[in-house]
Amino acid sequence: MGKEIANFIVNGNEYDAIIEPHMLLIDVLRDEIGLTGAKYACGAGDCGSCTVLIDGKPSFSCLTLAVTAKGKNILTIEGMADGNTLHPIQQAFVVSGAVQCGFCTPGMVMSTKVLLDENPEPTRGEAKTALAGNLCRCTGYVKIVDAVEVAAGTMRKGG
Amino acid sequence: MHRVLLPFEFFEPTTIKEVVNLVDGDKVRVLAGGVDLVLKMRRREIVPEKVVSLQKVPGLDYVEGNGSAGLKFGALATLRQIEQSEVVMQNYALLREAISKIVSVQTKTMGTAIGNLCVATPASDIAPPLYAMGAKVKIMGADSEREIPIEEFFVDVGKTAIGPHEIVTEIVVPSLPSGSGSAFMKLSKTAEDIAKVNAAVLVTLADGKCEDARIAVGSVAPTPVRATKAEEAIKGQEMNEKSIKEASALAAEAATPISDVRSTAEYRKEMVRILVKDALQKAAERAQV
Ligand SMILES: Cc1cc2nc3c(=O)[nH]c(=O)nc-3n(C[C@H](O)[C@H](O)[C@H](O)COP(=O)(O)OP(=O)(O)OC[C@H]3O[C@@H](n4cnc5c(N)ncnc54)[C@H](O)[C@@H]3O)c2cc1C
Ligand code: FES
Ligand code: FES
Repeated sequence: MGKEIANFIVNGNEYDAIIEPHMLLIDVLRDEIGLTGAKYACGAGDCGSCTVLIDGKPSFSCLTLAVTAKGKNILTIEGMADGNTLHPIQQAFVVSGAVQCGFCTPGMVMSTKVLLDENPEPTRGEAKTALAGNLCRCTGYVKIVDAVEVAAGTMRKGG
Repeated sequence: MHRVLLPFEFFEPTTIKEVVNLVDGDKVRVLAGGVDLVLKMRRREIVPEKVVSLQKVPGLDYVEGNGSAGLKFGALATLRQIEQSEVVMQNYALLREAISKIVSVQTKTMGTAIGNLCVATPASDIAPPLYAMGAKVKIMGADSEREIPIEEFFVDVGKTAIGPHEIVTEIVVPSLPSGSGSAFMKLSKTAEDIAKVNAAVLVTLADGKCEDARIAVGSVAPTPVRATKAEEAIKGQEMNEKSIKEASALAAEAATPISDVRSTAEYRKEMVRILVKDALQKAAERAQV
């Protein structure tokens, strides 16, 4: 298998991209498909800023060979909002002041989604555990955990 | 660290047989979750000509068993899957406690337990509990299948007993004796870092005495090691402050640590004693309830 035209399903949309086996998912998303929401920082699994969901599973796009994600359902931060309406998790990050430089935010939001899909009413401790694979160098995390609580509240009310 | 990987040929077979026929040491590498392999390829520590994915082989992602028949998991069973599995929660708490000390959810969702073992880092948090529980590793070659104790699987830093044309297919954990209790301890710089020292303890109590003890420590030698002298010292004893203190002092003798960015050798040796003491204490308490 060398160069091929591969089909990716990202945020419900299909994209064709010319890829080679050694290409990483983060690069295909950002450079081939043009979705720059997932951020590249450490490239080593340490920071979680590149987190996307692949078939619902939180994954480091910096350590995923793009070829292994073909045909799977990929969800990135761009797929969270509904048109111009932010997803309740995004809204919660904004109103809680959980975004400073914003570099960690896409990954934080994706990990929060995984948590709230499994556990709609997490404790602060559970929120911290769920976000342990995402580093933030700005906020000190308190407001991020606040945002998870706010988001959980809105989503339980059906928002 | 390089931004891009060097090119390689990629294979996604659908049977184990095809995988085994392809693998060839460092030249042809197996891909499980890719957490470690892709990272090492970025660092050019491994530059394979071919990468063979296990991901399209059906039926490798199982975690099954029960308290009396033992536990088995396959080459694609992720750390997260094992951590959340009912049988592990009910009967193999030691393994669950160890996995819970790997904090990154993404790492546990992508990374397999067998991949973690194949990396053969002495800092593995998965190895010490498997040493303590007497697990076996199933290894498959083109025309052969063998099962070896986990202690023979780890050979040196980054080196396992897997032959160049073999892969690991399964880990088998025997059922644990009744009256047993366990504990896993990890000391690290930050919660998300790998261990400076870790320790797994499994003790079996009968008539108030320690009938059996298995103690494994990690990050203090080229491979995880059993603290056999400490095990012998505690066996047959009542598990009290004095006996635990004496046994844990002997545990440090199993350690031949190095100094690195995470700790000095001296500190590691001292921490083996502390971690084993705390783990023995906790395991004894848990065995009694
Ligand atoms: C941020 C981060 C934090 C981490 N923290 C910890 C920690 O605290 N404690 C800890 O113990 N670990 C930790 N790890 C390591 C992690 O657990 C392993 O890297 C991961 O589990 C490897 O599994 P994998 O499926 O991704 O393996 P891969 O990367 O796919 O494979 C790893 C290696 O094993 C080989 N291999 C894989 N499967 C087989 C098989 N079935 N047969 C033969 N060879 C095989 C591959 O060829 C490769 O060389 C951490 C990793 C990251 C990125
Ligand atoms: S960029 Fe992927 S984990 Fe940091
Ligand atoms: S807001 Fe800057 S890294 Fe989190």
